[in-house]
This record gives sequence, structure tokens and C-alpha cells, in this order.
Amino acid sequence: MAMTIEIMKERSRIVTRTREFFLARDYLETDTPALAPSLIPESSLEVFETKFVHPYQKGFPLYLIPSPEVWMKRVIAETGQNVFQLCKAFRNAESIGRIHNPEFTMLEYYTVGANSRDNIELTEELFSALSGEETPQQARPPFARMTMAEAFREFAGLDLDALHEIPAMRDALASKALLAPAEAPWEDLFNILFLSCVEPELPADRPLVLDEYPKEIVCLARDIPGRPCKERWELYVSGMEIANCFAEMATQDAVATYFVSQEEKKRGALVPHNVDHSYPEIFAAFPACSGVAIGFDRLCMALLGCKSIDEVLYFPFTAFVGADTRL
Amino acid sequence: MVRGGEINIGTCLLINGNPHIVVEREFVSPGKGSAFARVKAKNLKNGNVITQTIKTADYVEDAQVELVDCQYQYSDGENFMFMNNETYEQFGVPISVHEDKTPYLKDGETYTLVMWENEPIDIKIPYKMIFTVVESENYVRGDTVSGATKPVTTETGLVVRVPLFIKQGEKILINTETNDYVERVND
Repeated sequence: MAMTIEIMKERSRIVTRTREFFLARDYLETDTPALAPSLIPESSLEVFETKFVHPYQKGFPLYLIPSPEVWMKRVIAETGQNVFQLCKAFRNAESIGRIHNPEFTMLEYYTVGANSRDNIELTEELFSALSGEETPQQARPPFARMTMAEAFREFAGLDLDALHEIPAMRDALASKALLAPAEAPWEDLFNILFLSCVEPELPADRPLVLDEYPKEIVCLARDIPGRPCKERWELYVSGMEIANCFAEMATQDAVATYFVSQEEKKRGALVPHNVDHSYPEIFAAFPACSGVAIGFDRLCMALLGCKSIDEVLYFPFTAFVGADTRL
Repeated sequence: MVRGGEINIGTCLLINGNPHIVVEREFVSPGKGSAFARVKAKNLKNGNVITQTIKTADYVEDAQVELVDCQYQYSDGENFMFMNNETYEQFGVPISVHEDKTPYLKDGETYTLVMWENEPIDIKIPYKMIFTVVESENYVRGDTVSGATKPVTTETGLVVRVPLFIKQGEKILINTETNDYVERVND
């Protein structure tokens, strides 16, 4: 179904209220570049490449950003301010379909001095501010909260804390009759189990914060001291992953180590890109902070009770390439 | 072998030695994770539907299948009986596993059967098929709402909605994926 004029107005209202929400709380609105000469290496993402050309001088490659986070963290490092941004982001090689568009709108906000729990409350307040009469119960706060370990116990009957070694994880997959490829790393085995047995069962009667992701899933979230988890949550609304939150990993060494591990994994990328090796340096003096990234189109879907991303985009990608190319 | 990212609805996978046909597939990328294909696949031996999640870059075994044209003859209550159009060999396909195909099987019609290790494991239903209306409510004269439809039953027991001008005994073309009426067919 195509976007109606009513949905267009509602989306515009949500954009305005989002800005008002953060400006009222004294967050600095940033407007950072969509084109970047280098990116941070993230092995889970493929990007779009383009290039700067000049009729007489040498050109250079440019990349459409998969997220504005790198720029925003530079602003935080330099100003110590809480920041927010609404902007376009681009991800290649992902699905085109019900909840995916290669170009999408991202809402990111970072709170200095906050932890990921504080960000749950802030995000609940945001949802309250954005909800309208048409917002279904499934998208209204307060959010339900569950740790990943609780979700595994509840929906797969498994003790995640006992599955941190590969053989135990393989046994768990076998107990669920799931295919486990030989040589698969722990993270893949975890994802197979999560995506097969846990995620489809997550309650959808109201938004759900799934908290405390296992530390083996490498990302820029900080470790929870003494626990095998990261200070990271994902928000599910109507079974759709809509936002994630990291309490930021903020030491230069840790970020540099992350770079090395991701560059190793990115060797097989379809679209290799230049890497900004100076980026870890900003963490030499970086305040404790926690940030949330929300897929804004999906947020609009949830708040307006829409079933497909095509309903909240006037020119969805499927309109250019045909509905048959939905992947 | 087939990669997770190449799996489509209809792909035949060999899971724990049994052929399974993919009936649903979605690509999912968990936050900060690789892309996976989450599939629902029907075991073609017992009809059970299972979920499997396969990394798009990983290989899984696919079932080496053969397509054979066969004529549907009758149902004996337990099996749909078919005859191979070339060898005239007759065999049954268990109804319990393929019950959803019942309203699309017409006596004497040719279907493509999916064979695995010389056993029929699936019946391919043509995208569009012609059916005869055997039961139809009377058209109420004067009901001129444009686009109005009524339910009719075909000779195979399929219930579809058709325009009001369709009468009992007439032939209609149906999209078998959506059960939507396409057009009236004149002999």
C-alpha cells in the first residue's frame, strides 16, 4: 500500500515532535555529512560507494554513511554536549521489503553521563511524546524489559550462561534440531538459536527492551563488569527490531582493538572501503555516554500502525525496482 | 549445495536426510550480526513444518529433484493417484502431507510432480487454472454495485469470489496463489 497524504502529514508531525522533544531537553541538533571519504569498519554492514571526480585533477572515493554515529561522536568528544540527529543513512546488500529500504532515516541521540538504563526511560518518554490517537497499544510505553538470558530461558528453555563455549552451544542447537554449520563461530551459532527459537516468540503486546547482549557479539558497547554481557539493548515493537542502544565503549585501546577485529572480518566485503584510522584517537578524552539509534521509518510504522515500510515512504525503493525484486 | 542467500520459496532442501520444501523465507540481519535466511520448510515425508536459520553465505544441502509430468486420476482417500505420462506407471502421493493441494486437483489434468529418489514429494500447481462453477447463489437482479462479487464453488470444492454475472456451469480462470478470479473462459 502506498503512502497516503494523511500518513505524510502524520510523519511530518512525528518529525516536528521529535525535534521539539530533544530541543526542549537541551540536546544539540547536529547535521553531519552523508558522504564520507572513509568509514569505520563494521563487518555486519555493506556500504554504497561513489566518487568525487574533477575534470583535471585526481578524484577520490566517497561513501554514503551507514549511520551518522562517527560524526556525532566527534562532536561529543569536542563539545561534551548531548546531541541528536535525524538524517538519511544507507545500507547496501540488505533486503528490500516489508521493513527494509536501502536508503532510510535514522534518528540517533547520545546522552553524556548516562547509562543504557537511563536511555530506556528517555526512549519511553520519546514514545509518549510521539504517540497519537492512532498509535496502537503495541507501540505505547511503558516498555516491557527482558534480558537476553531471560528470553532464552523463557522461550527456548535454555540457560544462556551455560552456553558460552562452542560445544555447549552446538549441543543446544542439536537439541532444537537446528542445522549448525561446521566451523561456525559462536556468534553465528548464537544467532541461529536466537533467530529460530527466541526472536519469533518475543511478546509483542507492547514494546520490548531486550537487554544485556552476550559479550561475544563484538560491537562498540562497553562490557558489564563481572558479567558475560555488553551494556546494549535492542527495542522490539510488534516483533520488529526498531532501535538499539549502546553505553559507549569509550577507551582508545578498546576501540582500536575493535577496529582490528572488524578489518579482519571485512576482508570479504562486497564493497571494501577506506578506513578512518584516526577515529579511535577521539576516545583519548571521551565522556561516559550512552546512545540510541532508531530506524525512524520503522518508528513511524509502529506509531501509525502501518504494516509495511512502503506505507511511510512516498517513494519507496520497491517503486523504482518493482515489487518483484523484494528480497 | 545452495547458499542461504540463494534460498527461495519452493527451494528443496535436504535436512537430516529428508527432503523439505521451503514455504516461507525472510532475510534477517540481527543487530551487529551477519545476514541470515530464516526459513520455514515442510518435510515432504511427513508434512511437519520446521524453522531453520541459515547464514546467507553458508551452504546447505539441497535435494536433487526431478520434474515429471503426470496425470491426476483419482483420490483413494489416503493417496492422490497419478500416472506418469511417459511410462504410464501409476503411484500415490499421500494426502496427509499434501492436503492443501486438494482443491486444485482436477481428474485427468496433467501436473508437474517433484520426484526425489524416484518418489513423488511435491505436486506443482499451475499459477493459473480453469475451473467449472458447480454451485452459485442466484444473481439478484438490480444489485448493480460496481465490483460486487459473490462466492461460488468449483468442481474441486474450491470456494472463490467472482463477479455477479458468473453463472453455474460456466468456466472461470483462477490465480491459484491468491485464489483470485481472473476472467470468464468461453469454450
